Amino acid sequence: MKKIFSVACALVILSLLLGACGPARDPNALQVWIEWGDNPKQIQELFDKYTAETGVKVQVTAPVDSDKILPALTGSNPPDILVLSGGDLAKSYYKEGLIDELSGAIRDGNIDMDDFFPAPLSMCRQGDLILCLPWGTDAYALFWNKDLFEAAGLDPERPPATMEELVEFADKLTIVDSNGKITQMGFIPNLSWSHTDLYVRNFGGFWYSDDGTQLTVNSQPMIDALTWQQQFFTKYGADNIQKFASSFGEYSSPDAPFYAGKVAMMVEGEWQVGPNFIPALKPELNYGVTAFPPPAAHPERAGTIVNQGTVVVIPAGAKDKAASARLLAWMMRPEIVAEEFCFNANLPTSKKAAEAQCFKDLGPKFQVFVELMASPNAFAIITSPISLELNDALGAAEERILLKGADPKTELDAIQAEFEPKLKEALGK
Amino acid sequence: MQNSHWTAHLRLLLKPPALPHWTKRETDSFRLGMLFLAPWLIGFFAFTLYPMLASLYYSFTIYHARRAPEWVGLQNYIQLFQDEKFYIALNNTLYMVVIAVPLGLFASFLCAVLLNLKVRGQAFYRVVYFLPSIVPTVAGTILFLWLLNPQVGLVNTLLAKIGIEGPNWMADPNWAKPGLILLGLWGMGGTIVIYLSGLQDVPQSLIEAAELDGANWLQRLWYITIPMVSPITLFNLITGMIGMFQYFAQAYVIGGGGNLGRPLNSTLFYSVYLYQNAFLFLKMGYASAMAWILFLIILLLTILLLKVSDRFTYYAG
Repeated sequence: MKKIFSVACALVILSLLLGACGPARDPNALQVWIEWGDNPKQIQELFDKYTAETGVKVQVTAPVDSDKILPALTGSNPPDILVLSGGDLAKSYYKEGLIDELSGAIRDGNIDMDDFFPAPLSMCRQGDLILCLPWGTDAYALFWNKDLFEAAGLDPERPPATMEELVEFADKLTIVDSNGKITQMGFIPNLSWSHTDLYVRNFGGFWYSDDGTQLTVNSQPMIDALTWQQQFFTKYGADNIQKFASSFGEYSSPDAPFYAGKVAMMVEGEWQVGPNFIPALKPELNYGVTAFPPPAAHPERAGTIVNQGTVVVIPAGAKDKAASARLLAWMMRPEIVAEEFCFNANLPTSKKAAEAQCFKDLGPKFQVFVELMASPNAFAIITSPISLELNDALGAAEERILLKGADPKTELDAIQAEFEPKLKEALGK
Repeated sequence: MQNSHWTAHLRLLLKPPALPHWTKRETDSFRLGMLFLAPWLIGFFAFTLYPMLASLYYSFTIYHARRAPEWVGLQNYIQLFQDEKFYIALNNTLYMVVIAVPLGLFASFLCAVLLNLKVRGQAFYRVVYFLPSIVPTVAGTILFLWLLNPQVGLVNTLLAKIGIEGPNWMADPNWAKPGLILLGLWGMGGTIVIYLSGLQDVPQSLIEAAELDGANWLQRLWYITIPMVSPITLFNLITGMIGMFQYFAQAYVIGGGGNLGRPLNSTLFYSVYLYQNAFLFLKMGYASAMAWILFLIILLLTILLLKVSDRFTYYAG
């Protein structure tokens, strides 16, 4: 009896230990982690082409929980290639020694730097160093619901041509019932997330200087951008809008506010017109897409977009840097970029890839975004090693400005004062 | 063992047991005991003590992930005391400790007293009140986000039926913490069960004697029941306080990774801000300093509570 008991105990302990192991990681395969991933199967099939060509196995993990990325980078077993959803962290990671600078890999892999669109590439540059390479990018434009326009007495084929007109149209498209409850909003400037980067560019500035070395948080364009957004909240009452917004459905569902006709205009990205969003979730929606309009006084700013997008980095702890570099070079080939981003309806970061027929096949609404990529007013998001902390503070200030009516200048002055020394310190090191 | 001072245990650990007055049987017994303790001890040293000491060291450095940490002495601590968000986080946490913990104790004691009454369906009621406490934290929080939804949530819908316009709950900085307190009260089944078992130990003889002397229900509660369960109250108070200082999961679910502390930093609790500093801003040294300050705060408050409690707790032998 005692013997059976001890054997049983040993078995239980053994099975518990084995159960703690995670999914098997093939030691001979290159590990590619992608932070996003609407269709992991498709991505794995894409990378299987690299295996077919070179015989090197590639194991793709997508999507990867953001919380897992930092431990992996600081640990002893990071992936060989890491694809991040945004470039905000690349400079911070480089500062902490978590990722490699890529000039060597670019040289060895013969990657054509001229093939990249300049805007997304600039997010990866720090002086002469290249910290990451852009792989697919996003741009935002104005979407409008033609049926709601018609119901409000507006021409459904004529979206607003200036920011001032947008405010006028939004007034006509906002419906408040007899109890004072909002049942339809014309426009919510920060629907889904903040779009201050787009508005501030339309007002002629950004919260960093162009080279990313100076903080311009309390510059006039920033104050203008936040004041312009604030008016939507003060007009109808921030509390009322909050209440209304709390009834919105999930982002990727047929009940999303724009799909459900609760919001008549929205600023959103190119993936909305692709196969995973509107055509899948609400194909009957009668809508249009156009470039976000400039302020009336500055028509030369028409076609302004702010590129933000995914980037590829090589972790500093990757085991075989040469193998990672070879895989990176393959990922940057125009035909690979075209295949991956046609499928996901994201914008290509390679000029050659942008000419591919499959992007034209995505339809005229997608072409709006492709044309915007080549616009002279296409900017990249500017980041710095303190981006995360600064973005968090800016987000909190934006919340106070929009929801509590705080004065934009006071809030932005406070952030400028707090973060200017931090940026100097971060860049000095 | 003769001397129960902790240094004696340490000495015994370091020197194999070869005390002259021990028989072989006692030596074997000790060795076997240590063998059984070994897994826990290894785990304690590897996963609790070592990380604690490492974080103490890191709190005096700027921690670079793959490069050597940079010693900066007390800089992290000084910066913390000048950090506005540190005080906001501390305030929010103290709000919960001072309001949610006593409220929880009061409510769960009341529920336990009611669940102790001999009525029909007592077992059924006990199960119903206990069930919410085994709902996983994340699921419960998401459930409450929907219950407290300002526009379509059940709570505001029911309030509207009696003519009250419900607040914006989790979207309103003044109502987010009360909403979280409601969530906590809903899940207080564990505390109720502990009180219930304590109530069983209240001697029936005392209750009957009080009845004979003409004490009414409230007087019996106040003069007999409450003092008799006071050790349990102390236990629940201390564990509740320790847990509330580390309040994290529910606030994290409400904020989501990118929106921690929303709305307007009203749900930015101490642990949430610590997490933000460590894993979002990559300021591990700063976060380690926060962790040690929290440890000291909880330690001091626990000692204080234990000292003060002597006057208020009655241990029935």
